[in-house]
Amino acid sequence: MVKAPRSSSPYRSCKAMNLPILIVDDEPDMCWAISHIIESQGLHVITAYSGEDACFKLTHGEFSMVFLDAKLPDMDGLEVARRASVLVQEKPRVVLVSGYHYYDDPVVRHAMVEGIICDFLAKPFTNKQLLRTLGYSTDIAKA
Amino acid sequence: MIPDNPFKKTKNHFELLYDMLLDAIPSSVLMVDEKLHVVSVNRNFLLKSQRNKANTLGRPLSEVFPTIILENTGIEERIRNVFRSGLPINAQKMTYRAPGVPIRIYYYSILPIPINQIMLLMEDVTEQVRLSEEVRRVERHLASVVESASDIVLSTDIEGRILTWNSAAEKLSGLSSHEVHGQYFYEFCDINQKQAVRFIFKRMKNSNESHTTEFHLLTANNCGSILISWVFSPMKDDYGQTVGTVVVGRDLAERRKLELQLRQSQKLTALGVMAGGIAHEIRNPLAVCSSAAQFLVENNITAEFHRECSRKIQTNIQKASAIIENLLRFARSSLDTEMVEVDLVHVLKETIELIANQAKVQKIQILLPLQKEHILVSGVSGLLQQVFMNVFLNAINAMPEGGQLSIAFHTFEDRVVVRVSDTGFGIPPGELDKIFDPFHTSSPVGQGTGLGLSICYSIIQQHLGSIQAESRYGEGATIIVTLPLL
Repeated sequence: MVKAPRSSSPYRSCKAMNLPILIVDDEPDMCWAISHIIESQGLHVITAYSGEDACFKLTHGEFSMVFLDAKLPDMDGLEVARRASVLVQEKPRVVLVSGYHYYDDPVVRHAMVEGIICDFLAKPFTNKQLLRTLGYSTDIAKA
Repeated sequence: MIPDNPFKKTKNHFELLYDMLLDAIPSSVLMVDEKLHVVSVNRNFLLKSQRNKANTLGRPLSEVFPTIILENTGIEERIRNVFRSGLPINAQKMTYRAPGVPIRIYYYSILPIPINQIMLLMEDVTEQVRLSEEVRRVERHLASVVESASDIVLSTDIEGRILTWNSAAEKLSGLSSHEVHGQYFYEFCDINQKQAVRFIFKRMKNSNESHTTEFHLLTANNCGSILISWVFSPMKDDYGQTVGTVVVGRDLAERRKLELQLRQSQKLTALGVMAGGIAHEIRNPLAVCSSAAQFLVENNITAEFHRECSRKIQTNIQKASAIIENLLRFARSSLDTEMVEVDLVHVLKETIELIANQAKVQKIQILLPLQKEHILVSGVSGLLQQVFMNVFLNAINAMPEGGQLSIAFHTFEDRVVVRVSDTGFGIPPGELDKIFDPFHTSSPVGQGTGLGLSICYSIIQQHLGSIQAESRYGEGATIIVTLPLL
């Protein structure tokens, strides 16, 4: 059986569908900062503090995007992304957020090529950089 | 044929006996008359000088000896003196080279004989001279070995009075060999050690074993002293009797300096291993600060949110700063080396804080069940921290897929045993006794210096404790550190 052809991008467009965004980080202050940036755009946010928690939420809810910390106490962020790409039918856009990796890190590039993440954000980031990964141009964000 | 008359026969018999006697003497013998003509000569002389009776008997000495010998030794004048004084001249040296034979060395004596003759007795001492020169050469060599050594080498008599004192001893103490000769060695030892050193010398008299110790040697500049590691060995004669003591001492300052450097460089290796965890842990608070600072410049924020941002910035800066402070503490701490009262629980907690980041990154759970709040030992907290840091990092490295790192204490009457166990690869059976050797490493080239555990070993030894390893290959390893309680 042939699968139904998908739209040009396999990922949801967060703006079009009014689905919440999942933030995964074991550091509550980090979740606070990211949530605040996203909520300032009128978007809804849900947080998870561990890899297991994130996987559970991903399989039990629909999300337009995931901001994923690379190092979680119970598993690697990339492992969460890998599981999500298998478990979740409608794949959300996954942005890896990390202070452990750097932007041209082979691990990061490999994950992008593999398609389990779509973007990478190095900690510390500017709020504009984060908004850009949402698919907004910064001009729109300001408006 | 007319038979010889009895008198003549007797005379011939004596002459014969006399010739036989002379020829039997293993020295050269010449009889010389007042005119310095050779009257009699024995076989040994003819052999050594490559001459025969015909060109020697009745000839003047000037024909029998080469001119150069006559000139160098002045032997003719000496013989005349003996004729005049009637007193013998004993044991003079003469180097004689007969044509076609190697040079020989003789001791000669000129002895007056009542019938107006003298006897020139020449003894070949070439071999003895060669041997004694050999002995002297060996002696000189030994002396220069002792002199060239960079360690202190000294010898004393049986009571501990200094007999020899080499250059290294002079250099390190600033006291010349002349100043210390004949003085009791303990006079130059640290005041608290004098009694102990006297006791060592006492023991040397009846001991076959050497004695190793460490104490300060006083130096020439007032109240100065240097720490030396000493080995006392009894010096025995051919009959096994102690005739003195040999003392060898090595300046520990140099070794301590090297040890310090080694520990410091190993620490940098450990810091490199921790870098990943540190990066992650510092960038988190930095990211929070960065975002909060950007919120603050937004226009329409509430006073409440303004305060929240400030608070977040404050606490996260403190978080980052605390991580950096721990690192600094670890990097610098080995500079103090004085043994003081140290709380082992505190040291372990601090060390765990340092590796917690790395453990988290590798999904390793740290278990530290504490029954006691304080465990006091005598030590240098920075060094003990370095030991546990090494042991923990090794454990973490052995668990790339995550696992458990558990630390357990057991206190006994006089000691505390710390067991650090991981659930990693374990140590292959053949390598268990090698892991404390310098440069033994199981890490791939470039990832470990292999110095970690050997340095742990030297530090724990310095604390009068012990460090051991147990492992079932494939099931993890346990490092056991035992330290004396205060």
